[in-house]
Amino acid sequence: MSQERLMTVLLGPHISEKGTLLAEKSNQIVFKVRRDANKAEIRKAVELMFDVKVEGVQVVNNRGKSKRFGRMTGTRASWKKAYVRLAEGQDIDFLGAE
Amino acid sequence: MMVSVETTGGLERRMKVQVPADRIENEVDTRLQSYGKTAKIKGFRPGKVPMKVIRQRYGGQIRQEVLGEVMQSSYFEAISQEKLRPAGGPRIEPDKVEQGQDLEYTAIFEVYPEFELKGHEGIEVDRPVAEIGDEDIEEMMSNLRRQRSEWLEIEGAAEPGHRVIVDFEGKLDGESFTGGSGQEVPIVLGEGGMLPDFEGGLTGMSANEEKDIKVSFPEEYGAEELAGKVADFHVKVTKVEERELPELDDEFCKAFGIQEGGVEKLRDEVADNMRREMEQTVRLKLKEQIMDGLLARNELDLPGVLVEDEIRGLRESAARRMGVDPSEASNLPPRDTVEEPARRRVKLGLLVAEIIRQSEIQLDQTRVRERIKELAAGYRNPDEVIKLYTGNRQLMDQLEMEIMEEQVVDWLIERAVIRENAMPFKELMNP
Repeated sequence: MSQERLMTVLLGPHISEKGTLLAEKSNQIVFKVRRDANKAEIRKAVELMFDVKVEGVQVVNNRGKSKRFGRMTGTRASWKKAYVRLAEGQDIDFLGAE
Repeated sequence: MMVSVETTGGLERRMKVQVPADRIENEVDTRLQSYGKTAKIKGFRPGKVPMKVIRQRYGGQIRQEVLGEVMQSSYFEAISQEKLRPAGGPRIEPDKVEQGQDLEYTAIFEVYPEFELKGHEGIEVDRPVAEIGDEDIEEMMSNLRRQRSEWLEIEGAAEPGHRVIVDFEGKLDGESFTGGSGQEVPIVLGEGGMLPDFEGGLTGMSANEEKDIKVSFPEEYGAEELAGKVADFHVKVTKVEERELPELDDEFCKAFGIQEGGVEKLRDEVADNMRREMEQTVRLKLKEQIMDGLLARNELDLPGVLVEDEIRGLRESAARRMGVDPSEASNLPPRDTVEEPARRRVKLGLLVAEIIRQSEIQLDQTRVRERIKELAAGYRNPDEVIKLYTGNRQLMDQLEMEIMEEQVVDWLIERAVIRENAMPFKELMNP
């Protein structure tokens, strides 16, 4: 678990209605992460990148949607989403950093 | 809202305005809320975007907008609160724009000068008085005949008063120059339309004759490269013609739209016309003198912005008159040439406005209507012209301004000391 790898684990914030709701209600932040990342890695990565204390991590695998273009069928890439619960009193502000 | 005004010299004012923070923040909030109802942000259904996200994303932008508007509206409020009359727009310098703090800015502008109208009574003017004599009318009539004259080709040599049709080619040191040649150009000899050498050379030539003429250009000739030079012209006379004046008869009158009444009617018409023109000229002269008198008797500070505007306007219209593009800076005439007239116009404008205010002159609507009728009468279908005027606000404004000005002049003339000054008609019309 090199620092180099940890830097590549988080792909970006996942901004959604559910995400903002959870952020307010239970101090959880939603990330899009590498597909081969595990919970331990994600915890480390978040702690490294945002300098916060992580309480727990839940992950979801999202299967890519299958899409059709005329007669061609294709699949979008599958991706992994992580719900990261931060320790009380801690926050990550994505939007403000823009 | 707190306002303080500081005079920095002359007509310039520095106005410090402080707007409470609530006024801005409240406005920002309501805007954000209404914006949030329609905003589309990825990951949210329209109208379901949390306030927090909206604020983060659009807050800054909307704040800027609100600041701009608040500055503007509070500027006008402050102006009316302080009873200032700014000339031209302000230059606004924001002093403090941080969030959660009172907005402070300084508006720098010039105000209209406050002045006491002086000497608007008893301006001395000369009213030119002239009689239109019979000989004046005769002269006008013969002018009309000359305008309608026909040219008959004759044999023999051209004399002054004759018209020659010539082809010519001019060379300066063996080189052709612009405007130096022409084909089938009609020239009436003895009217000074061409340079004396040129006309002199043509005199005595008959049709189909060719000749070389040396023409020396005068020192103050319009085209610089020619002034003071001597050019060689090769001319060929194709025709020599003699003027034939039309007879003064009913036929002649018809050409001027007099169907009945013949020569007598035409003469009356001409006399009428001359009288009208004379009246106009007299009015113009009176107006000039009145305005000059007014200008000379009043001394006031002029707001720089107004003068600048006027200078720009004058330069641009001068460029437009010359048929060049006024947006090109190099096409504009030099600044100095228009500065004095611009100052004069601004000053006059201020004085006239003050007179209107003081004397409570109201726009005379019947006069406006009459003027439109008069204007329309000159066109083929007067009703349409009237409609055009009454339907077009801009034209009406222009007309109303003109009439207002006339009313002011009338008002001044009523109070002026008028000296009658008799002079012959001709001198009045062609000073």
